Amino acid sequence: MDGAVLHLGSGKPTMTEDDTLAARGVPSAKGQARKPLIKLDRLSKHYGNHTVLDGIDLEVMPGEVLAIIGPSGSGKSTLLRCINYLEPPDGGHVSIGDISLNAAAPAGRSELSTLRRSVGMVFQSFNLFPHMTVLRNVSLAQERVLGRSRKSADERSMQLLKRVGLADKAEQYPGRCSGGQQQRIAIARALALDPEVMLFDEPTSALDPELGLEVLAVMRELAETGMTMIVVTHEMSFAENVSDTVMIMADGKIIEKGPSADVMRNPQQERTKRFLRAVHDR
Amino acid sequence: MLPSYEELSAWLPDLLSGLSISLQVTVLSLLIGIPFGLLLALGVLAKNRLTKVIALFLVEVGRGAPALVLLQFIYFGLPTSGLTLGSFTAAVIALAWNTGAYTSEIIRASLQSIPHGQREAAVAIGLNRLDALRYVLLPQGLRVALPALLAFSILIFQGTSLCFTIALPELVSRAYEIGSNTFRYFPALLAAGVLYASISIPAALLVSHVEKRAGSYAQR
Repeated sequence: MDGAVLHLGSGKPTMTEDDTLAARGVPSAKGQARKPLIKLDRLSKHYGNHTVLDGIDLEVMPGEVLAIIGPSGSGKSTLLRCINYLEPPDGGHVSIGDISLNAAAPAGRSELSTLRRSVGMVFQSFNLFPHMTVLRNVSLAQERVLGRSRKSADERSMQLLKRVGLADKAEQYPGRCSGGQQQRIAIARALALDPEVMLFDEPTSALDPELGLEVLAVMRELAETGMTMIVVTHEMSFAENVSDTVMIMADGKIIEKGPSADVMRNPQQERTKRFLRAVHDR
Repeated sequence: MLPSYEELSAWLPDLLSGLSISLQVTVLSLLIGIPFGLLLALGVLAKNRLTKVIALFLVEVGRGAPALVLLQFIYFGLPTSGLTLGSFTAAVIALAWNTGAYTSEIIRASLQSIPHGQREAAVAIGLNRLDALRYVLLPQGLRVALPALLAFSILIFQGTSLCFTIALPELVSRAYEIGSNTFRYFPALLAAGVLYASISIPAALLVSHVEKRAGSYAQR
């Protein structure tokens, strides 16, 4: 299965993913067989009669930044939420690193806990805990899930808050922070478990453009450290300039997927062209 | 119509000891009833069928039956099945059940008022169910519930007056007893009413204060 990254006839990839990663300075383990970090097999999800995900096959390499774009209702967010089982898929396979979950069998608690430890998630509406200080927000899971002492958790949290530029907010409550700051705190909170993958569900959609920029800057930095990221977004510039790969979804299917420059500048599928035109005309 | 000073000073020790029993029953009913209400709320929200059915039964009986009926049932009804309880114990059990049933609905509604994203975020950072409840959902839910719980506590305090029907020597019983000894029913009950108000009105002011403070944090 290795190498079968491009699924739906995007035709002629001009640049392989290895090349894009290398161009961004992400070390690719040339020589060894590179295994995808995330692999989805015929993942499906229905709500009643409505098919939200229609047999999604997807592979994401370590260090890859994948942007998922597409019209609303196309299943982008659901796909993300199925990856960490916030919504259990009802068909197919999810594997991340050593964890492999089959949707047909009910997932065990310990499997789910390992899965969620390896996957950080950032929500459109931030979802910080409003009754805790910023520092507690970032430290909570380290103490309860990783079993760190409060002192070492807080030290790590301070590092992360510094990294997103918000060390001075540690003792504030989230309600006192701007939306952009809250989203950066949410990124720090997700990073606190040292995840292998970060999922972003429209992280800037609830923010005005200026505040969105500060969040995008943090995400760009994160991408540069080699973090594997899947980003559902309406930010076309992020898809084009930061991500390695872009995937377009519509009606629960992958319409087109390939190196971001190809897909964004030279889309092959009619549906993709229509979507991109609609976005650019806005 | 009004009690004279002599009457008041003669009645007051009795009335105050009645008030003390009313307060004891109130405090014990709340200390048992509110945690019971929390358990019932979790039971009603549980996925497990059996847990849910048992919790719903206890809630619906506790809310559906008037507190007076619960009291009478536990004090007069249970002895026929071999369980005889003192009037104090019976009062606490009946009112704690009543408290549990009503507060479970208050707590359940508060928990459900928390934005869904909070639970999702708790799950996404890997917290197990108990930790999500303990660190994320309950602290927020109880903050929402607090004013309503305090207001309900005042009702339970007033509800202890029903215990006069099971011969518990609480405030109304004492006033009634004074009335039947002296035929001064109205002044005695008036004095008892003033004592109830002396607790209930400051408590109600406290509730509205707490309500304002709790509201000040209500933003995400």
